[in-house]
Amino acid sequence: MTKEQPSVNTQNLTAVQLMELDACTRCGQCDEWCPTYEGSGYEPGISPRFKVRRWKEYIDRSFGFRAQLFGPKEFTDEELQQFNDDLYHCTTCGRCATNCESGMNLVELWESLRANLVKRGNGPVGKQGLFPKLIGEYKNPYMKDQEARLDWVPKDVEIEDKAEIVYYTGCTAGYNQLAVAIGTARILNKLGIKFTMLGEDEWCCGSALIRTGQAHIDDNPKKLARHNVDAIVEKGAKRVVMACSGCFRAATIDWPRQLGEELPFEVLHMTEFLAELIDEGKINWEKSIDKKVTYHDPCHLGRHIGVFEAPRKVLSDIPGIELVEMNEVKDKQRCCGAGGGVKAGLPDLALSVGTARVKDALEVNADILSSACPFCKRNLSDGRDELNASDLEVEDVVILSARALDLSVEPDPEEPQEETEEQNNEA
Amino acid sequence: MEYFSGFTPEWKITFGQMMVLSTIAILIFLYGMYLNLKKWSYGSEGYGLEPSNGNVLAFIKTFIIQLGQASHAPHAQPLWKVIILDILLQRRIWRKHPIRWFMHMAIFVGWMTLFLLSVAMFVVELMHLAGINVDPMAFRESAQWAFHWFSILLTVGVLIAIFRRIFIPKIREATIAYDTILLAGLTLIIVTGFVANGIRIDQVWGLGIDPFYAPIVALFHSVISLLFCIAYIPFSKYIHVIATPLALIANKGGE
Repeated sequence: MTKEQPSVNTQNLTAVQLMELDACTRCGQCDEWCPTYEGSGYEPGISPRFKVRRWKEYIDRSFGFRAQLFGPKEFTDEELQQFNDDLYHCTTCGRCATNCESGMNLVELWESLRANLVKRGNGPVGKQGLFPKLIGEYKNPYMKDQEARLDWVPKDVEIEDKAEIVYYTGCTAGYNQLAVAIGTARILNKLGIKFTMLGEDEWCCGSALIRTGQAHIDDNPKKLARHNVDAIVEKGAKRVVMACSGCFRAATIDWPRQLGEELPFEVLHMTEFLAELIDEGKINWEKSIDKKVTYHDPCHLGRHIGVFEAPRKVLSDIPGIELVEMNEVKDKQRCCGAGGGVKAGLPDLALSVGTARVKDALEVNADILSSACPFCKRNLSDGRDELNASDLEVEDVVILSARALDLSVEPDPEEPQEETEEQNNEA
Repeated sequence: MEYFSGFTPEWKITFGQMMVLSTIAILIFLYGMYLNLKKWSYGSEGYGLEPSNGNVLAFIKTFIIQLGQASHAPHAQPLWKVIILDILLQRRIWRKHPIRWFMHMAIFVGWMTLFLLSVAMFVVELMHLAGINVDPMAFRESAQWAFHWFSILLTVGVLIAIFRRIFIPKIREATIAYDTILLAGLTLIIVTGFVANGIRIDQVWGLGIDPFYAPIVALFHSVISLLFCIAYIPFSKYIHVIATPLALIANKGGE
């Protein structure tokens, strides 16, 4: 059957991305490495290779040589809806792209396809659909008051009004995983680093909107990036430190792309900043952590940006830590399962992927599974709980660093830490 | 019959046929590539921009723009490294699976060398026809060993590919017609090539066929080769021989 208009369009897909569909040799490496394909029990529709194949067929039927000569070939809305649902079974971790023998930029392809299907009315899935409204209205995905951005700051922490260094907290650390924020602030104070914060002028980084293909709705990510960049410049910053890998990825890659300009300041992850201070001999650890620690590379920090060594340098430098590597690390690292909106949209899949990563840590008999991202910590903790592996501690590198500097990460050092951390299931 | 390419004593007929067939194959290829360029050009010229209208220049422009952009990818490589290591030496496959790398390299090197040798043979014949003092027979004989061994290399690569598709369950189950047509085409070219050559030099792989039929078998092999080697590229999985290097270059070697 033919009709005048193609069943799909090429919205949000670049000409090079359409060419990349023809570059796939179907070698199957993406399937071999995909954590959600494995986590789904190898559901055929979740296979990245099959996703590429299906979209290539849609494009060929709509714009290929037969379509150009005889008109586009129709396919059903049910078929496209199924494709959409399968497409969102992906954390956009990028493991497929790292292992793609044809060099396809698959993370960009998945995100572009999501945006295309959101515009078409198919996506997103689950709670992800709330992101534009929540972030657009509240400037954070947790419906928290912007005036409460600095409510977590303990009385002993000193924040400058203006400084060359800005600590951009991120919504998750600022509202839910307070220990990471408190640890970061106290570390900077202890090391004599003068820093400032944006307070209620800190808006969401926009990562969740971009990852789930909803960047075009009200142009929110662009507005967020513009506001954050201007607020950071207003503070006189030359460097911005972030302890959240999702925010770090957004600021490094997405903000310049959204704004069409280079940022007028340097963006660093907190582990990079600490590694730099270690190199300069400015950190004197005060306590030993006599544990076997393994490190999980957050996708947004490692594979997407290439920061692999800094967190390892920090952990290796802390007295007492025996750093052991899991089987799949650095650019081959297995995703924690939380990214790409999966935690919010498909929590069961997120848990399945998370437990697989926790098993990697248990295999090397680690006492602590560390990471450098609040989302990873949340999902790995859920995976640990699912496996009843209560002996395994899941902890952020920043918090371990605070511990080694003899710093508390409690708002009030007398309070137990667990009471300060709300469960965050919005990642 | 004189030459492997089908150049016979009645050369005016077969040479003319070859010229016509080559031209048709090239025209089909060019038209197919135009349609592919048009298909790709329905995409936008940059992230978040509106789609283009199918003007083939849109793809070329987007490709050049992307090439000039700084990559955020931690593994971004300079162009010369991508061309030598990722395209010619296929480093990304080597890292994953050395046996599959050997298979792919055997097909790639065997295929490209035979193609280039055939083009060289054709050029020598053209020069000879133009009155230039070159000896096509001498050229063919000197290149005979290369034709032979690179044919064997190609055959080994294709046999490994067929073995994997048939005997490794995971690969067999994932195989679709899109993959099979590519392998079937290669196999047909190899078999007809060996038979044509075997008849000409009276070897066992000529299947005992009367040398009288050598020109027509050679011609058939050439036609099949032109169809699969050139004309069918834009319409099949063979497109990856063009699109994969382009993707590697556009993405600076990939993630």
